[in-house]
Amino acid sequence: MPLSIVYYAKEFFRGEWARKFLAAKTAPLVTPTYFRNYPELTGKTCTHHLFCMMACPAPGAIDVVRTPEGWMPRIHVGHCIRCGLCVEACPNGVLRSGRILESMFYDNTKLSFSFRIDVDTERCMGCGNCAVACPVNKLIDSQMSHGGRASTDDLLLKVNEGKCQVLHVEKCTGCKTCEHHCPNEAIHVARLLEAVHAPEDEL
Amino acid sequence: MTVLQSLKNFVRSKSIHVAYVDVGSCNGCDIEVLACLAPRYDIEQYGIFVHNNPREADVLLVIGAYTPGWEGKLEGLWEKIPDPKVAIAIGNCPISGCLFNRPHTLVDPPVAKHIPIAAQVPGCPPRPTEILSAILSVAPTVFKDYEVRK
Ligand code: SF4
Ligand code: SF4
Ligand code: SF4
Ligand code: SF4
Repeated sequence: MPLSIVYYAKEFFRGEWARKFLAAKTAPLVTPTYFRNYPELTGKTCTHHLFCMMACPAPGAIDVVRTPEGWMPRIHVGHCIRCGLCVEACPNGVLRSGRILESMFYDNTKLSFSFRIDVDTERCMGCGNCAVACPVNKLIDSQMSHGGRASTDDLLLKVNEGKCQVLHVEKCTGCKTCEHHCPNEAIHVARLLEAVHAPEDEL
Repeated sequence: MTVLQSLKNFVRSKSIHVAYVDVGSCNGCDIEVLACLAPRYDIEQYGIFVHNNPREADVLLVIGAYTPGWEGKLEGLWEKIPDPKVAIAIGNCPISGCLFNRPHTLVDPPVAKHIPIAAQVPGCPPRPTEILSAILSVAPTVFKDYEVRK
């Protein structure tokens, strides 16, 4: 009888036992490496396409800012929902999160943006604000004056016979500057985001 | 602080009573809070008990973007919790309003405007491990000098 009490006491005063009894018993809380966390920078160069911002569903979650090293996307914790769409939409792989980039590589998929411009000819009054404001037009013809009339047909938009005319929709970058500058709400830019299975040679 | 007081503070920090309130969420964060109760995380080994009664809570988990129906009620609920108490915002909703914070919606985030928030767990929704680590990291600071403060 006294011997068994000694055995019990010996068991209970072992440091190991006391630690196990008092401390947490399951494995510590760890985040698995494949967890799709907030997007991080991979160090690749951002080309300011802003596809990440266009794809992002959460208000105020991402912006692209100019730093001394160039353009750089910034993720705002507390707004970002960790959906990973920005990672997939970036054409340069600037962001990474979990296994998204790896699975895009193995599945040969990507998100591709295209833009459609719709001009309501009933409302358009041919002022040319859109053509003058468009930054793509600015690169092609920096001399374009107000009115949006120009001789070259390389332009994205121009005013022809008193109406806005879209000449090269494939040059559009989806910035919607034209939409914001139209006084009549006559021009609308639609951003189309599609998941595509890219051909082998593109990746 | 006497030895007894520090002992009381220590024991309190090992017994954390939790209540949660949903002030207008999509239910995603509620499900993650529920997942914390699963045997996978075994929260009682950390001394966390979920009674969901503000009268005996130490930690209030606030979920959701604060819809107009909660005006005054969340503040009243916060008053009901006895000291020492602390509120933790769970998810993006109480921090920024998440996807609901758009023009012409009625939500009124952040919740920190309405009751004092001690910690925020961003994510939509946050992982259960993130919620647990937040509770475990604020608990010692709440109870640390409570006996003396009082
Ligand atoms: S992960 Fe989703 S929510 Fe977060 S910044 Fe990227 S696109 Fe926006
Ligand atoms: S969306 Fe931008 S790039 Fe496209 S036409 Fe309008 S202004 Fe030009
Ligand atoms: S689309 Fe709008 S901005 Fe462009 S020419 Fe017509 S009225 Fe002017
Ligand atoms: S943070 Fe996201 S998951 Fe949580 S309640 Fe808000 S919308 Fe739902």
